[in-house]
Amino acid sequence: MSRERIERELALLREGGQLADLFSEGRPLVLYRQVPTAGAQIGLPSAEDVIVPVPAGYPASMIDLAGLPVGSPFLGRARGSQNNQGIVAVAGRQWQLASYHPHNGGGGPPWDQMRHGFHTYLDQLIAWLDKLN
Amino acid sequence: MIRLAQNDAVVRFSKGDFQALAALLFRRYPEYEWATFARFGWRDTGRGLVFSLASVDPPGSGDMNESVGHVQIRESYSLRTALSAEKHPFAVGVIHSHPEDCLPAPSSIDNDMDGYYATYFSDFAPGRPYVSLILSRVEGTLTLSGRVYWRGGWHGVEKFAVETLPVTTWQARERNFRRGEARERTARLNSAFGSEAALRLRQCAVAVIGAGGTGSAAVEILARAGVGKLILVDPDRMEEANLERVHGSQPTHARQAISKVEVAREHVLAIDPTCQVEAIIGRLPQKEVVDAVIRADLAVGCTDQQHSRLALSDIAVRYLVPVIDCGVALEGANGAVTAQVIQIVRFLAADPCALCRGMILPATISQELMSEEERGLRRAQAEDARTRGENPNQYWRREAQLNTVGFLTTTAGSMAAGYAMGWLTGRFDPPFSRLQMNLLGRDLDVTDSAEIPRAECACRRIRGWADQANADAFLNAPAHWDAARWIDS
Repeated sequence: MSRERIERELALLREGGQLADLFSEGRPLVLYRQVPTAGAQIGLPSAEDVIVPVPAGYPASMIDLAGLPVGSPFLGRARGSQNNQGIVAVAGRQWQLASYHPHNGGGGPPWDQMRHGFHTYLDQLIAWLDKLN
Repeated sequence: MIRLAQNDAVVRFSKGDFQALAALLFRRYPEYEWATFARFGWRDTGRGLVFSLASVDPPGSGDMNESVGHVQIRESYSLRTALSAEKHPFAVGVIHSHPEDCLPAPSSIDNDMDGYYATYFSDFAPGRPYVSLILSRVEGTLTLSGRVYWRGGWHGVEKFAVETLPVTTWQARERNFRRGEARERTARLNSAFGSEAALRLRQCAVAVIGAGGTGSAAVEILARAGVGKLILVDPDRMEEANLERVHGSQPTHARQAISKVEVAREHVLAIDPTCQVEAIIGRLPQKEVVDAVIRADLAVGCTDQQHSRLALSDIAVRYLVPVIDCGVALEGANGAVTAQVIQIVRFLAADPCALCRGMILPATISQELMSEEERGLRRAQAEDARTRGENPNQYWRREAQLNTVGFLTTTAGSMAAGYAMGWLTGRFDPPFSRLQMNLLGRDLDVTDSAEIPRAECACRRIRGWADQANADAFLNAPAHWDAARWIDS
């Protein structure tokens, strides 16, 4: 895992006002705090925490998947969240990974490690939580 | 007097930067000396420090006293260099020339200068080494000496390595160029390239990544040519299906599932018992493997894995290790073989990296780097998706089986080894950037793809930055890989 690269990317997010933390115990994950959603239009929270696994070999491997807290009202409404990709525990909570693959034919640009990273993946997460069933 | 604890440092240069450096240092040649400060990327390999020239901070007008023949650096230049060191992460060094045919042996003036700067720069760049190098042209040969101050002691430079350009390392009052009788076994090579070339091969270390069909062929050629040291890297064990391609392999190796590097090591020592062999069960870019590979003069890539190719490209850029990478592919249709392709790629620091060249497919390399558990999960999900009538590729793309045959892998590995020998001896360069040829094509369908680096790619920015560009590493070793380990000699 490239801690230095990820920390640099998360620092870029913080500069823009988005909080995100790296958890490297066990399976490494990035926790994005209070990602904006379109939930307010349907009576759901306007922000939600989201986790994203750090892929093995990053940044050669593309960032993939996204997870919501178990019990989140967005589970079942966000794209691919009906397709459970596993439960993980981080930051004292349980999270359910969703089948969300923006860089692998899922609607986003093809993965390019020189352009993309955890700082740009926020855009994919915002887009994810903006289109709710 | 400066006493060296040991000679264990390696200093690397890209060819272009070295030639520019030599032109700068020889500006008052052949009689007078000149100097420059420089920045070095560096890494502690556990067996000594490895440095790569990142950039030079040349003297400006008035920074040096030109009225004397030796080097006299003015305080303003030193202070400017020291203050800039507070803002960058590199090791600071001074490189100066000695007059032509004057050995690069440190003089008492040099000792005074190094003693002073070692303390001076440690105040501005704490925890970083101080590097002092001397370049001279002796009997027409570029000759270097060097020493490094780090953690309270002085270390000598064991080896200077300039991409594709042989130079001589001078140590302890004698050139580290072992004179001796040319060996009878390399008599034909001597007559073709010259006896000096054969002696250079004897002094060289070559890392061969992959000990399968192509790697074992490259290793055999290099061992027979008399290369002094081979560093062999491969994670796999022998299987029955490898016997058709792997040089030196026997059925008993497959039956006993001997590691491929063990087979290669045995084969090398059978060819030349005097060859030093370091055999590592592991892969790039595991830390221990990188530590070993960046001490070699050159690396030959012989795997069909994209992560290995990308790691070699990273090493070429950040640590200035010249790389020849080779691969093969065999295609067929309707019961006929339609193509037998060999690719040989040159990775020098100034070349486009593997990412710029579009050689790395994100989905493929992602799958290569997954754990077995994740692969299994993804395959199952892909099957589920297929059942639902959805596109399975976002979960798992079926891997095409790369078919290869022994004559193809042997040809590719031998060609790569040949070009490696051309670089090591300074006798010839690969006349291409990325060669592809089809043995079944008319005139072999030879193409050379001279790709252009992408402006936004990190490879344009981090040349020679070594560990100081870890945040820009192209890839990192997954935690789920087995730890690298050495085969005991």
